[in-house]
Amino acid sequence: MGGEARAAVGDYQHLIVERHGPVGWLINNRPEQLNAMNAHMRGEFADAWLELDADPDVRVIVHTGNGRAFQTGVDVAEIASDGVGMQRYRQSVEDFDLHFTSWHQHVWKPVITAVNGICAGGAFHWVADADIVICSSDAQFFDPHVSIGQVVSIEAIGLMRKMPVEAVMRMAFVGRHERMSAARAYELGMVSEVVDPPDRLRDRAQALGETIARNSPAAMAATKRALWGALEVGLTDACRAGAAELVSMWGHPDQAEGPAAFADKREPDWQRQESARR
Amino acid sequence: MIFTTLDVWRDEHVGWLVFDRPDRGNAMDATMLNDLEAAWQELDRDPEVRVIVNTGNGDAFQTGLDVAQLASDKDALREQSRRTKRAELKLTAWHNRVWKPVIAAVNGVCAGGGLHFVADADIVIASSSATFLDPHVSIGQVTASEAIALVRKSPMEAICRMAFMGRHERMSAERARELGILSEVVEPALLRDRARQLAATVARNSPAAMAATKRALWGALELGLTDACRAGAQELISMWGHPDQAEGPAAWAEKREPQWATTST
Repeated sequence: MGGEARAAVGDYQHLIVERHGPVGWLINNRPEQLNAMNAHMRGEFADAWLELDADPDVRVIVHTGNGRAFQTGVDVAEIASDGVGMQRYRQSVEDFDLHFTSWHQHVWKPVITAVNGICAGGAFHWVADADIVICSSDAQFFDPHVSIGQVVSIEAIGLMRKMPVEAVMRMAFVGRHERMSAARAYELGMVSEVVDPPDRLRDRAQALGETIARNSPAAMAATKRALWGALEVGLTDACRAGAAELVSMWGHPDQAEGPAAFADKREPDWQRQESARR
Repeated sequence: MIFTTLDVWRDEHVGWLVFDRPDRGNAMDATMLNDLEAAWQELDRDPEVRVIVNTGNGDAFQTGLDVAQLASDKDALREQSRRTKRAELKLTAWHNRVWKPVIAAVNGVCAGGGLHFVADADIVIASSSATFLDPHVSIGQVTASEAIALVRKSPMEAICRMAFMGRHERMSAERARELGILSEVVEPALLRDRARQLAATVARNSPAAMAATKRALWGALELGLTDACRAGAQELISMWGHPDQAEGPAAWAEKREPQWATTST
């Protein structure tokens, strides 16, 4: 891990941004507050995703948290104490103009969410909006919104597209009174891997990231656009749009390099993606 | 209201809607079809009811349209045929726009049109003796809206398999749990107790927040992801400033049960 020195990185207060080889890391870092998101952290997310997305040496991004929680949603203490409450977010929510997940920020690199410990309420935004989700064996999932008079909405809507709906609705309506285990999350397909013991989670996420980074960045970006785009429309329209992404890679140097490397039994030398942004 | 084909009552904050034609596998005849609409509306209107449990008396949960009546007395079902044609069925909570959480407690066989009540519930639990099948194509009928809803909510292969195996295969409660069609399997004798417990737990949450949540999540099945999030965001904001949003955190801080505002949907 490690790698050469990179361009200047942002200076973050509540997040840590790191690079280990081809893997960019975004780490929630308010462990005392169980990584709850205050207004400042919310802004930092927007910057951190864009920073990692813009770095051509980052081919895949891992998102996890410091401490015993992955994330616990919005910082209720801030909401309750400063007299502004949720109103500060009214305009951005009304316009659905959010910027704290990779999906919000149109990041077309693969994103792995590695859920360490507690994942509650708004934390599901990053489970819903990741491409791959793994978790530690001590991870716990619950959605306390309705238990404190809040509505469950956007994060559950994303989850519902990606896993059996009943489980999402059950979490929404049972609220803080029940927790889903890592084992059940795995059964349901909400996560694809449970890492035990929990302290192996980051090593596993790094290894998974390095494996994914062996694939063509350009092909993965087009694939991600095709699959996420498919959640927007009906089946036939999704296939039509997906076909356009498919064709967009034809003639790309990676399409010659891939088979050549396979024939030569060597690692492919993929074209550097200066910017996958569109 | 007293119904001949349903048992309907309220116990604290939990409304019960129980299919009661046990000698007919709880199949829906014309009377039950009418009773269902009235019963959902009655439970929805009662502000004391915060969550609804739907289960069946006898060995079956629900076995769909009463085929015996269909064969012997077509006229009785004429109105329902019209509704089916216009996709205006009023069988389930979803059909009747009930925005309170609904728990289906599947107590036995759930066949054909009975799957509507699984598809349209928010939470589904089942007795270990429950089985699931869709015999429509085995009697020359088409499977449509109940399977369409299930396909949105669960892995599709399992639903297609049920649709095409017809009456010749049954899915177990345990397989349905594995697939995420339901979330819990209980000993048959304990099903109602567990449903009551689960409902009482759900009833501890803000009724207004749950209604907005339900509108947001079911509404999301209508739209593409971004449009669904956009619409869901409006439901989110609709609660801001509601008294429950102050009461919830206050009760939590004071370690007491919240006193939610009463709501009617």
